[in-house]
Amino acid sequence: MWSRKSALLGSMAVAMYLLGLTLRNSQLVTIAVVIFVFLTWAALFGGHADVASSGRRADEWTGEEGVALGSVLAMRKLSGSRIFEDGELTVTLRMQNNSGLAKILEVRDRVPEVMRIKQGSNYILMELGPRRETYIEYTVECPLRGFYSVGPVAVRMQDPFGLFHKEKELHVYNDFLVFPKMEDLKDTFVKSRVPKIFTGAVNIRQPGPGSEFYSLREYFEGDSFRAINWSAYARSGKLMVNERERDAVSDIIIIIDSRAVSETGPVSRNALVYSTRAAASLAKYFLGRRDSVGVVVYGDEVVSVDRDTGKKQLYVILTKLAGAVARGNIPLQVVVNRILPHINKGSPIIFLSNLEDDPTIVSALRDFRARDFDVTVLSPSSLEFEFDARRLDRTGYEVMKTERDVLLGELSSLGVNIMDWEPDMLLSTALAGARGF
Amino acid sequence: MRKASSDTAHLYDGKTVRSSAPSRKKLAGQTGIGSEIPMDAIPELEMPSFIESLIGGPIVPKMKFLPPDKFVQNMQLGVYVILVGLALLTYIISPPEGTIWFMLLGSSDLALIFQIGIIAGATGLGFWGAYQRDARYMLGSYSLFILAIMRFASSKTSVNDLFGLADSPTLLASLVVIYSVLLIMYFELSNGVMRYSMLDTSIRTNEVYVMNPKKIVGKYHRSLIINPIIATVLASIVLSANTILPWFVGILSEDTATRLRESVELGSVYGVALGTLFVFIVVGALFALDLPTYIQKKRESSDE
Repeated sequence: MWSRKSALLGSMAVAMYLLGLTLRNSQLVTIAVVIFVFLTWAALFGGHADVASSGRRADEWTGEEGVALGSVLAMRKLSGSRIFEDGELTVTLRMQNNSGLAKILEVRDRVPEVMRIKQGSNYILMELGPRRETYIEYTVECPLRGFYSVGPVAVRMQDPFGLFHKEKELHVYNDFLVFPKMEDLKDTFVKSRVPKIFTGAVNIRQPGPGSEFYSLREYFEGDSFRAINWSAYARSGKLMVNERERDAVSDIIIIIDSRAVSETGPVSRNALVYSTRAAASLAKYFLGRRDSVGVVVYGDEVVSVDRDTGKKQLYVILTKLAGAVARGNIPLQVVVNRILPHINKGSPIIFLSNLEDDPTIVSALRDFRARDFDVTVLSPSSLEFEFDARRLDRTGYEVMKTERDVLLGELSSLGVNIMDWEPDMLLSTALAGARGF
Repeated sequence: MRKASSDTAHLYDGKTVRSSAPSRKKLAGQTGIGSEIPMDAIPELEMPSFIESLIGGPIVPKMKFLPPDKFVQNMQLGVYVILVGLALLTYIISPPEGTIWFMLLGSSDLALIFQIGIIAGATGLGFWGAYQRDARYMLGSYSLFILAIMRFASSKTSVNDLFGLADSPTLLASLVVIYSVLLIMYFELSNGVMRYSMLDTSIRTNEVYVMNPKKIVGKYHRSLIINPIIATVLASIVLSANTILPWFVGILSEDTATRLRESVELGSVYGVALGTLFVFIVVGALFALDLPTYIQKKRESSDE
């Protein structure tokens, strides 16, 4: 491929050549001829026409069979496929030259724009000897959650004067997941006046296997002898057995607003970023207490993670949160109508939203309260994010802040535990504020 | 409901943790704010302009180069040496007769002063551009050198005959070839000063990592010697077409060859053009047959 420099020289030579012929000036023609020769030599033997390359993932690499695929090969390995925000990822790029000629390569491994190179470099200029390989290692810092891909590897060869070059993208991609970072809530609850926001193992008023006494009933065939209440038998003369109350953990439902409006503010500081981090922290905390946690993310569609317990559930939730994208504008009422029949009565509900641009919020939360759900709203304030980024003037900020305070007051009057979550406030502080301790 | 007080002492064993940074609140009351997008929120995207990409770097240097390393210093030195040679040769091969200013001024002396001024300006700008590593001056220097050789009069090579060169046409032709090669080498070297300064700065600021820098630089050094030699030899062959062509024709017919040798047209610029045409038809055919790729494949598989 011609570079602009060679194009300029070429054009200059053509112009001089034609002008020389027109003016019958040998000097101009001679200069033009020398430039032509120079360019031709660079094009002919500049080594630019040889980047016959292909790329594969490192785990697909099984030895020297790659020779048939081309002369330059790229393979990549990541230190992990799942990390948390602000975590670091080490990328090892393996470059192979399978030809008998040494090559000077310019290699750029494309990393997502939001990533920062912490150590090493993803842009390397190298001389790769014949049938040699080399490893390039660099570390990236991942400040934002999401699904990401490293790649492709852009390889460029050019003649020493940069007149002609050949570029090729080796389509080697490695995907990885950045989970939202989590705040440890355990200490906060221990130090707070109320030991837990929600009582963990909530006994549901139904008989079943458990530890607490529920009632007495007559003995039926098949009942365990150990369940017989001998005192009651002595009193009544009938075989009576103890029934116990079924132990159960509470279902926690976390609803995350991922509508387009939730991303108002800077990329790294907006309501959606805060909401996902809060949801991850809460999920970890409650799952750690062996509660059952379900997550609903809504934006352009309603995506839910069914209630479940355990570590696996935490990863399922984290994956969903990592993939939450600010899109659409589904009203909360639609979400409530859809999930209401599937939630156990009395389950605590945590709603994470900036509470903007949705006229159905009040009625939707009223529906929850009317059915006696324990509703907590953590509302990262988009106004503060915008104001901090100086995208909002003071008058606008004050007006919108007043409107927001009115809305928060209205929701509070419904019996919703609500907190206006300011950008610099810790999640634990916000939670404590919402629950009133 | 949001609490009026931000006192969190009861939560943190008596230690008050502020819920928001004081500086932000202070800022809210003080800063004059517009609704435009803040500059720091817009990512910087630097696309080289057409001219920038031609000269290998920005015209107005946005990147502050670190002090030149030894390699760049040597290249600067090379530029100075070539500039001296180029200035001398430009003066020799481009007499003021036939220049635009000669036609405009009508005076040979004035045109000479003008011509010398242009050559001196081109050289001075080149020196300063290479020293400062500023592409603007280099671009000015290139333009002035090209302007200096633009002549609108003669068919044959004419010179400021300082050393009695006018008697030998071969020597004159060689001089023009050497001048042309020097001109290209000046373009390349001064361009290299910019490219390698940028590369050196990028290396030292960890933007780019270079493996085996000695080998990369070595290849560039080799090219700086080999390419001009090859260009000179090939160009000389192309320009000698008016001698070579009659020789080939002489194999078939000596009479025709003699007529060709005595032909005024073949000895003029049209002879050079004819020779160039023949040579580049051959080169074009080689490219059409994809010879570069074939040669490359052959070289690639040489060790297999």
